[in-house]
Amino acid sequence: MPSNDSCAPLIALRDLHLSFADTRVLRGIDLDVQRGQAVSIIGPSGSGKSTLLRCITGLLRPQRGQIRVGDTAVHELRSDAEFIALRKRVGFVFQQYNLFPHLSVLENLTIAPCKVLGRERREAQDEARRLLGKVRLEHKEHAYPGELSGGQQQRVAIARALAMRPELILFDEVTSALDPETVGEVLRTIRELIEEGMTCVLVTHEMRFAEEISDAVYFTEHGVIVEHGSPRQLFNEPRSPRTRAFLQHALGRGERERRPLVPAGAAAR
Amino acid sequence: MSWLDAFVQWTGWLGLDYRFLLDAYERGSFVAGAWVTLQLCLCTMAGSLAVGVALAAALVSGRPWLAGPTRLFVEVTRNTPTLVQLYCAFLVLNMLISEVIGGANPFTPFAWVVIVISLHKGVFHAEALRAGIEAVPQVTLEAATSLGFSRRQRLWRVELPLAVRFALPSLVNNLIELVKMTALASAIAVGDITYASILIWTQRDNVLELMILILLFFGLLSFVVNCLGRGLEARLRMPGYGH
Ligand SMILES: Nc1ncnc2c1ncn2[C@@H]1O[C@H](COP(=O)(O)OP(=O)(O)OP(=O)(O)O)[C@@H](O)[C@H]1O
Ligand SMILES: [Mg+2]
Repeated sequence: MPSNDSCAPLIALRDLHLSFADTRVLRGIDLDVQRGQAVSIIGPSGSGKSTLLRCITGLLRPQRGQIRVGDTAVHELRSDAEFIALRKRVGFVFQQYNLFPHLSVLENLTIAPCKVLGRERREAQDEARRLLGKVRLEHKEHAYPGELSGGQQQRVAIARALAMRPELILFDEVTSALDPETVGEVLRTIRELIEEGMTCVLVTHEMRFAEEISDAVYFTEHGVIVEHGSPRQLFNEPRSPRTRAFLQHALGRGERERRPLVPAGAAAR
Repeated sequence: MSWLDAFVQWTGWLGLDYRFLLDAYERGSFVAGAWVTLQLCLCTMAGSLAVGVALAAALVSGRPWLAGPTRLFVEVTRNTPTLVQLYCAFLVLNMLISEVIGGANPFTPFAWVVIVISLHKGVFHAEALRAGIEAVPQVTLEAATSLGFSRRQRLWRVELPLAVRFALPSLVNNLIELVKMTALASAIAVGDITYASILIWTQRDNVLELMILILLFFGLLSFVVNCLGRGLEARLRMPGYGH
């Protein structure tokens, strides 16, 4: 890791404002992510979490504010080429419908490296097989997305993002369309990535998971960051009454419903 | 030609009069009519698909100055009878063109049929394609964008392959209808199979016999289109979608 680790964040959002017509969705967001960190964003539905992630990779343009990803001022990008250069460095995994249903798993993993990065097909395929092994799906390379379970699809989507060798990956509620059983296997994949030092931003409703793997947690509501801090501080001694109310609701329910997600994680607690 | 004799004799016993088949001239004009119908089908299929893609592109372009007039054209075209459109084109437009450029009017009746049916069916293709395009999940396109696809790559590698798959059953349906629609050509005396048959039965008064042949011929053509469509659907099938 470079020596300026602590001073220059990999992602820096400053005073981000975004409205859809008259709906003000982001109303002044500040957020920093250091290289190698895992940062979780939690908050009620409709608070602008997905919108925030879309801004980082240039899928949406804020009306005001600054977005920096490394040296790139995302808010100033204009041409398609500049956005493509940014997106080569930023992986994105959505909640659902990530994969191209007309392509096999292997093709899903190789199409962007071949067509966007211009890699050799063979090389891309070898890399894809390695990544499929990493997400424990090596036996599924010829399957089509429609033939996989939701959890398997999400792991393929993660592998596909990794195939671009990004500097960071944004995860947008990647487990919220899954049943509790398959949530675990996806979270395990993400945990391994974080342990390897990949910079990750996660929007999640898995409070236990966020608490366990994050370096920092942001709580957002109505388009503003209500509170942020270390997971220990935010989950155990939230400063804002709003955070407290939200956590009481979310954790109270989660605690009763969920078994320990992953054995290793449960032991650490 | 002995099997033709046998056929005529055999159908004669059933009370059907196929003797025109033994007349070289009439037989020739019937076969030529079938050939013209086949050419009409091929030309209008290609033409209508091209029109359909162009109109669908205009409809989903998101540019009001393009989508608006296209929408108007679509509504007018699909809400008026094709036969009337054909008469308008051939009797009015064609005459105006002839008047302007004199005797050297390049538009034959055949060309008018191809133009009118291509536009008419193209409108239906466009709506099918639009439905297909709109069925592609927005997030799948965002996923392509976030992987660094350019607009072109996204269109050709994700959006269109999916849209065509979603639209294919409707497109095949339209093409089968189109095959039968080519019989309209007889209305402006293009020598297709229907027109050739009309000429024969006015001489011989064997309407039923020719009707049977026409039905079989169109049935066969539609069947072939149907099979090709099914084959294509099977080839493009995405596992996990449909059954
Ligand atoms: N394309 C859009 N057009 C108009 N409004 C939108 C659009 N996308 C999002 N919104 C609105 O912006 C607000 C924030 O949406 P966003 O998807 O960012 O919420 P979220 O925090 O991700 O919620 P969830 O947890 O349910 O995913 C919502 O009120 C939503 O209705
Ligand atoms: Mg969301």
